[in-house]
Amino acid sequence: MCGAHAAVRTLVSELVDQNDRPTVVDMEAGLEHFSRGTIRNVDTALLIVEPYFKSMETGARMSTLARELEIARVLTVANKVRGAADSRALADFCSQREMHLLAEIPFDEALLEAERAGRSPLDFSAASPALRALDDLARALTSPPEAASR
Amino acid sequence: MKLAVAGKGGSGKTSVAGCLARLLARRGVSDLIAIDADSNPNLALTLGLPPERMSQLCPMPRSVLERRTDESGKTRLSLALTPAEIFEQYGIPAPGGITLLLMGSVDHAGAG
Repeated sequence: MCGAHAAVRTLVSELVDQNDRPTVVDMEAGLEHFSRGTIRNVDTALLIVEPYFKSMETGARMSTLARELEIARVLTVANKVRGAADSRALADFCSQREMHLLAEIPFDEALLEAERAGRSPLDFSAASPALRALDDLARALTSPPEAASR
Repeated sequence: MKLAVAGKGGSGKTSVAGCLARLLARRGVSDLIAIDADSNPNLALTLGLPPERMSQLCPMPRSVLERRTDESGKTRLSLALTPAEIFEQYGIPAPGGITLLLMGSVDHAGAG
């Protein structure tokens, strides 16, 4: 492994472990932080999947690895969901693979427009469907653990 | 709350992480730290930092880590500063009272 990446991973895991403030980490894309344990110090892993097979399959592998690392809450969030067929596919897949599907974020042009405009979606179109779903997710995550893991 | 957002490239992971951080802050989660551990940093924009500031954002230097030797003679990397010192020196203030830390370029600072 390249020493540079080792440094980033050490920094992330030590910072998460040693600070006492609430922390959100945007992990690097892919699976390596699971196999190397960079992610092990978090209490909640949100696995973002899109409603197509390869993405869900990656999510399932992440879910297995996260549970092996004994992360307390391993939750799946589906993103860019475009309708009932997507929802059904997600529900079927997650139940077969014992993944906890906590939220579905609808596909939303407003997020793309915000990105094109170089703005945060919250400062651009705060009432968009995706943001409403994300706010429901924020509420679920700040509820007592029993409620959020149900 | 220590939350990691993970996913394939293109899954919208960074959008979820950034929006969620802002929404959590709005729901009363205060003094939140947002860490951009991705090699393609876009979290700053999603958190609401203006595009014209992007070029001035400083990632953390390699010097926040140091090599320590334990009793058995093994060396390992650990933090050279406390988290509070790191937030104070390298934290980037973002809307919602969020403090952003950029990891993306630690690897360009002569590591390895």
